[in-house]
Formats: sequence, C-alpha cells, structure tokens
Amino acid sequence: MLSKLFESLYLKVFVNIIVTRSHTIVYIETSNKKGILEHVEEIFKTTTINDKMKMFIDSYTQESPFNYISFLDKSEFQGAAPTCSNKELSKFFDVSSSKYLCYLNKWAYYTLNSDLQLLKKEYSTIGVDFIFSPFTILAKFFKDKIGKTSAMYILIEDGRISLGVFDNSQLLYADYMLLKQNEVIDDLLEDDTSSDYEVLDFDGGIDLDNLDTDIDMGELDDFGDIEDLDTFDDMEDFSEIKDQHVEEVITEDNSLLTMSDTEIFGEDYERFLLIQSSVNHFYKDDKFESIFIERVFIADSIDGGADLKKYLEEEMFLNVVVRRIELTAELCELARSELK
Amino acid sequence: MKYTFISPRKKSILSPEMLLLFIFFGITLSMLFMTYAFLLFKEHRFSQDKEESIRQLSELSISQDEMQERIRFIKEEKQLAERIYTQNTVLKDSISNLFDLVPQRITLSEAKLLKNGLILYGITPNQDIYNFMLQAPLRSIFTSTYSSFFPAENGWLRFVSTNYIDENDLGKKNLKQKVNEDLNNEN
Repeated sequence: MLSKLFESLYLKVFVNIIVTRSHTIVYIETSNKKGILEHVEEIFKTTTINDKMKMFIDSYTQESPFNYISFLDKSEFQGAAPTCSNKELSKFFDVSSSKYLCYLNKWAYYTLNSDLQLLKKEYSTIGVDFIFSPFTILAKFFKDKIGKTSAMYILIEDGRISLGVFDNSQLLYADYMLLKQNEVIDDLLEDDTSSDYEVLDFDGGIDLDNLDTDIDMGELDDFGDIEDLDTFDDMEDFSEIKDQHVEEVITEDNSLLTMSDTEIFGEDYERFLLIQSSVNHFYKDDKFESIFIERVFIADSIDGGADLKKYLEEEMFLNVVVRRIELTAELCELARSELK
Repeated sequence: MKYTFISPRKKSILSPEMLLLFIFFGITLSMLFMTYAFLLFKEHRFSQDKEESIRQLSELSISQDEMQERIRFIKEEKQLAERIYTQNTVLKDSISNLFDLVPQRITLSEAKLLKNGLILYGITPNQDIYNFMLQAPLRSIFTSTYSSFFPAENGWLRFVSTNYIDENDLGKKNLKQKVNEDLNNEN
C-alpha cells in the first residue's frame, strides 16, 4: 500500500534496450501518473554494455528509484509453440532447459534459461527487470488482425525474423530465424582485423627471396592475339552497345545502388529465402496443423523491406501488408502493461 | 508477471546510503523516545507513589485517630473497671463485715440488699440473743431498724429484720446502686 503511494509520487523511468547486430538502441521514457513527460532514444555502437551507454542510462535511472529496464530477448533458441499443455510442449522444444509462458492460455512462447541468465549477468551493472519475447510483441502489435484473420505474421528486426502463423488467434506455427549475414558480417570483421595485423607485420620491407613467382604465363600468351582486335570501324557499332550499357548503369544508380541499399536488397532476399523455407517446413511437418497461407502481415522495424514484399508477392503469390513498427516503443508499452 | 520471462527487481525508494542514514537516525530517535517514555513512566510512577503515600498518610492519620479514640475508651473502661473493682472490693468487705456481724448462734436464711436498706431473714434461739448480738450493730449502721419475730417448730424464733438508711446518706446508697448497675452490665 505504502509502496504504491510512493510509486504514484515518483517518476517512472522505462529503459528499453534492443540489441541489434552491430549496435544497441536505448529508448528511455519518463512518465508520471499524468502521462509521458519525456522520451529519448540513443544508439550506441556496441552490442554489449559500455561505459558511455551505462552513463547514459544511469543519468535517467538515477532520477527515480522506480526505473524499469526492459530487453527484447535475443536468444537464438527462442520460439513459440502452438499449445499451452505441459505434455505437448515437449514436442516443440526442450521444456527442461527452457523458460516458457502461456499467451492467453492458447499458445506458449519460450526461451533458453541459460540465455536469460547470460543476459542478466551481462547487464548486471544496470540490472534487468523485464525480458520480452518478440512473439509477444508480434501478437500484441497485430492483435486487431490475429483474432479475425488467418494469416502469417512476421516481425522483422535487424538480423532476426520472428514468424507466426495464426488461425483465429490460435498459433499454428512459429519460427525464430537469424540472418546468415550475421555470421558473414562477423567473419568480415574478423578478416579486417586479421588483415590489419598483416599490414603491421609487413614491417616496411619485401622479402624478395620468398616472393611468389609462380605466375600463370598462359594468360600473358593471350596478348599475342592482340592484333585480332576490332578496327576503329567496328568500334562505331560497339559504341551503340556501350551507350546502352551506360544508360542501364545510370538507371540502376538512381534507383538502388547506394551501398546500404544494396545490403538491404541482399538481406531482403535472404529474409525471403528464410521465410520460404520456414513456410515449406510448416506445410510439410505433420506436427503442425496446416492451413493455406494467403495473407502475410509484416511488422517492419528496420524500414527497408520493400523488396521482401515484392518477393513474397511475386514468388509465393501472397497478399502482403507491411506495417511500420517502433520496436522500442512497443517494448516500452509492454513494460508499462506489466506494471498495471 | 504477464509477458516477461523474469520478475522485476524490488524497487526501493531508499538507496543503501540513505537506508543507513535513516536507520542511524531511526535508532537515535527511537532511543530518545524510549528515554522520554522511560522518564514519563518514572514520573507517572512517582506521582502514583506520591498519591499512594498521601492516601496511606491519610489512612494512618484516620487510623491514629481511631486508635486514640480506642485508647481513650480503653482508658475509660480501665477506670470503670478499676472503679468497679474497688466498689466490688468495698461491697465484698461490706458483705463480709455484714456477715461478720451475725453471731454464731443466729443463723441467716436470707438477706436482701435494697437501695436504701437491708432485709435479713433468719432463726435465733431467743429474742435477747438477737437484740444484743445482731440488732445492736445494725442500729449503729442503719438509721431505722425494725424487727419482727414468730416462733419456729423447734421452739426457736424466726425473725425478719428490716433496716433503712436516711436520705442524707445518699452518697452511700448511690455507690451501692452504681455497683449494682455495673454488675448487671458485666453480666
């Protein structure tokens, strides 16, 4: 009773943290009983906690003892199962090593216990109050559709996809997938590091004795046919082709070819492939009650998946609806609802 | 816990430093209050003891008065007892003297002590013995003496001697009366 009174007198600070592949988004909302007073979002170039991030969070959490730190679960071994019965859950995941919760007594979402402990330990300097499953966010975000429409619902995060097939608010199938480019990026980062070390080892000189002289001379021999090259007259016909090619390049430049867009283009295709394989799995596995998927609702948190929609529509003939989702705000909303 | 995998940490409005400070001040204040309460209690006890002492003093005073009253009464009783004893002694002596007056040859059968007189019944061998040996001393004591005789079966005379003292000798009579009353009260 007394704590409720104090709680109403103090500000509430909700710190919502989402860890992506390369950075961490921290969204902080300060509110009192009248409403939201302030909200701020900061992105840190780290996938764990660093001093800068800790100082930023502390500057807000020290304002009030009633501060709540929420995380979006990033465990690789999380998911959801289409039942809430203890006996049947073991068909879908290892119940003994997982923590699971029922959603409206219809379906369950789970995550690995050890990953929860790991997350709590990793962020022990600031503390952790809530860890939410992306499936909860997906269900809450599309609650207006899930009850009415049988469809596939997808939450797209940076490097992660949460997918669920619902039939009149009953989950039939769920899958949590990581983009393989995660690994590629990690590998590239490692390669960059190793090449840096090689440069450092270079030490200003070249060892001529160890120089690799094993060059394929056959390639050089091709230069012997240089005389067979076209004459200037033939070049005039070629210029038309050249102009056409230049035009194509210019068109592509205008539409897509910035560096980041290329990445998104590739990622979207990878997402499409993952979704396609997951849908195949859903259709083929007898474990899941199957329905024919016609519609897809996508909650897009990265704002760049236009091509995914195109792929799904063109390749799988699905009717796709994309909604923009502010993950941090949804996470905050969940944290707020936990306290009610 | 509705959707979260873990329970939130307990929230406290007090930081550890503040908690320590509050505990310190809390202990200090509680000690002060306890001391204050102890003093209040002692004061209350003292006032209670004072009231009790005053009450006891008053009771003792009353008791003392009662004792004084009893002492006074006992003294009066003692005086009365002494007086009665004295009067009894006097009466005993008087009766003893009275019986000493009766000669060997006269036998008394009854004696009545009156307020202002004495009636004696008895047997005498003859009237002369009576007149000389008993009536003479009775006349010396009482103001008026009357004697009457009538013969008995064995030839002797029965007599009734009635003796009275005058009003002037009331002092003596009153003494007898008081002695009689006291004797009745004692019984």
